Amino acid sequence: MSLITATPPAPSAPPPAPSPSIADRAPRRRVSPERIAAILALGAIVVASVIALADSGISIPSMIESWGNAERFFARVGTITFPEPGELVYLTALTIGLVLCGTLLAAVISVPIAYLAASNTTPGRGWQAFGRFVTVLTRAIPDVVLAMVFVLMFSLGSLPGILAIGIHSIGMIAKLFADAIEQIDEGPRRAIRAAGGSKLQEFTSGILPQVLPSWVATVLHRNDINLRGSVVLGYVGVVGLGMEMSFAFKSLNYSEGLGIALVMFALCVVMEIVSSVVRQAMLGGAPTGRGLGDRVVRLAGRAGAKRGVETTPVARPAVSHDLDAALRRPWDAVRIRNTVWGWLAFAVVVGSVLVCNIQWGDLITFWAKVPEIAVQFWPPSFGNYDAATMFGAMAQTIGIALAATLLAFVVSVFVGSLAARNVAPNGTVRTSMRLLLVVIRGIPEVILAIVLIVITGLGSQAGTLALAFGGIGLLGKLIADSFEEVKPGPERALRATGASRGQVYASATLPQGTRALIGHSFYLLDTNIRAATILGIVGGGGIGYYLLNAGQGSNYAVVTAIVLMILVTVLIVEGIAMWMRRVFK
Amino acid sequence: MSTQVGNEDSVVIDVSGLTKEFGRTVALQGASLTVARGEIVVLLGLSGSGKSTLLRHLDGLETPTSGSVRVLGQEVPRLTGRRLRALRSRMGFVFQQFDLVPSLTVLENVLTGALSELRGPRIGLWSYPKRLKLTALGHLDRVGLLDRAYQRADTLSGGQQQRVAIARALMQDPEILLADEPVASLDPESSEQVMSLIREIAMDEGLTVVCSLHQVDLALSWGDRIVGLRHGEVVLDTPAEGLSKAEVMEIYGRVATSTTELEAIEVELSDAAADAAAETHLADGALRS
Repeated sequence: MSLITATPPAPSAPPPAPSPSIADRAPRRRVSPERIAAILALGAIVVASVIALADSGISIPSMIESWGNAERFFARVGTITFPEPGELVYLTALTIGLVLCGTLLAAVISVPIAYLAASNTTPGRGWQAFGRFVTVLTRAIPDVVLAMVFVLMFSLGSLPGILAIGIHSIGMIAKLFADAIEQIDEGPRRAIRAAGGSKLQEFTSGILPQVLPSWVATVLHRNDINLRGSVVLGYVGVVGLGMEMSFAFKSLNYSEGLGIALVMFALCVVMEIVSSVVRQAMLGGAPTGRGLGDRVVRLAGRAGAKRGVETTPVARPAVSHDLDAALRRPWDAVRIRNTVWGWLAFAVVVGSVLVCNIQWGDLITFWAKVPEIAVQFWPPSFGNYDAATMFGAMAQTIGIALAATLLAFVVSVFVGSLAARNVAPNGTVRTSMRLLLVVIRGIPEVILAIVLIVITGLGSQAGTLALAFGGIGLLGKLIADSFEEVKPGPERALRATGASRGQVYASATLPQGTRALIGHSFYLLDTNIRAATILGIVGGGGIGYYLLNAGQGSNYAVVTAIVLMILVTVLIVEGIAMWMRRVFK
Repeated sequence: MSTQVGNEDSVVIDVSGLTKEFGRTVALQGASLTVARGEIVVLLGLSGSGKSTLLRHLDGLETPTSGSVRVLGQEVPRLTGRRLRALRSRMGFVFQQFDLVPSLTVLENVLTGALSELRGPRIGLWSYPKRLKLTALGHLDRVGLLDRAYQRADTLSGGQQQRVAIARALMQDPEILLADEPVASLDPESSEQVMSLIREIAMDEGLTVVCSLHQVDLALSWGDRIVGLRHGEVVLDTPAEGLSKAEVMEIYGRVATSTTELEAIEVELSDAAADAAAETHLADGALRS
């Protein structure tokens, strides 16, 4: 439209000289109003994050100052101590048993929910909506809140923790279960239907075998998350290491508090390794994941193979036509291994239930208390607090989440890109970046936050830094993975034109990864908002502080009001995320 | 060994004794090929015969196990970094799967062909100079897709996407155009359109074209010269004119080791589109990054 129409192109002009009207004949670029709105919204969120970060007071001087605090702190604390060995072993077993029971409970309930929620198995639209609703709702209510409620309803014991973990985990497990069902090959299932199989048979023979590996991985993954989260449950009265830790810190017994935190760190790492071993045993083959556990297992496997331990081939028996003999499945290495692992898993589950010492009677008696307690939760109110305080606290929580997400995003795009095979300039860079991400992910962020808050004495700043740090581990990995999954064709095509590495990255890798980048960032924001709430409970400022106070002061109406605020915030963020993913697809 | 020294002007591609192994698979076995400026050459062969691998070597996307690859007077395997990119920018490459960036507009996809003459990464249409945008629009007009300039690339049909890919290659103002099974993923009508477009542009611009195909009929009617590959070896190199399908089949038959293999050729030649796709995947895995 402007006056450049007749500009003679540079020396390398193409022979089909642009006719004078080419710019006029070209169609106008149309950007849909929705896309503009989405870009503006994204811009607004980024601006809000920058402001939140500026407000948070995170700066080099304050970090140096907090380092000074830390030094003074350690000078005062002296040495780290642990509970008595017997006590420690019991607490550790209890914590693991409780988390396992909770996760298994969620897994069992998730099967029918996932069946209803998956589009290819649901009996009807209404059922599907119900299934989806259950997953969204259970995910939206923080397990801490559930635990607070259940602690009220049950006589002390492990049941509140199990139920809190069990119900909250349904959200994630059922959703991933349903996703796995939707991705199956329909062929086997159709074949069973064609052969006259029932719906249940379709499920057990056609669907279950296909989804089982993915389901096992999901449950193990969630179990790791739950173990990390169990610390915070201790702060609201769920038995185990977390509760001991909160007692220690509250009674200013820092050396024992730090000792338990250390045990918790170690436990999380060990659990990740165990998960990986179990995955390998149940699914066969070396784990291909890049988590800490998978790496350790692979290393161990390689060492084992070198010693020639498990590579002895099993001699196949000669083919016999004796059907009776064929009926007996030989006890080959695979069968022995499967059986051993099966019984071991069973023993662990039984052990978990036993160590939890569940008061089964509570499950029957608690219904009587439900109406009495339920009425105290309704209607919601802010009680003695004025609305401005509460909204301010909620805003602070959102601010922490935004600032942490922004910090994590900036670092993750850099680290994550360099950790992607198709972006990294060489193998060394990629490997070291991957390793960095693995190490960061190995550290449970909430425990890190607790320790940082206690040590530096800085509430929201320490919390924000801990969340940002943990976020790098998650987002960096997701970015690296999705960049590695982009179609290689366009990258190759651009390399073939003579484009440089940076140009290929910007023009082929980045545009293909944008959708994933936005999706993952919102996912992080989503988790950060939940985590920021929890930070308040452990002393990181924001709405969580009021939530804990209200719970401990029996102001249940206030608890309801706060939970509703959190729910609305989380749902809004999730809504925005879904919208962004749709617009930027 | 280059016997063509001194003919730099007329000989633009000179491959000799090229061998490429992927692990234990031998993709090329002592292949040799000389192409003069302005020639339109078809590489004909079954899936797995080494056509794609040969083409990729010309553009430096693969490193040979042994042998020499001279393009435009330069030994390709010896080039790295900036000099390799400079050579690549003189060759357009059209791929079977089009390889456009799906989420970018058609125009931006065409513009990416000019990246080698720009410095630094570019994100978004605004980051390209107006001069290039006009040139790109001109090329889109040339391939008949000017009206699609601001649509996302993945909203186009396969044939249209391949025409966009051709426009992208034209952005480089290339001397040589390499095409790897450019129509194997297209329906017959789009194939016809794309192939005649390539030929037309090649004639107009005086481009040298090396195009791999698996359809004997198409190869005979389209190319000036047919180079047949089999098991990574060049088994046929002759002008297309006057060559009949039966003769081509016979030449394949002579090097086939058994009658079953000969039958396999017939079967494969008739439905090699899927196999060609498989071949691409195979080679992708080993692609040099």
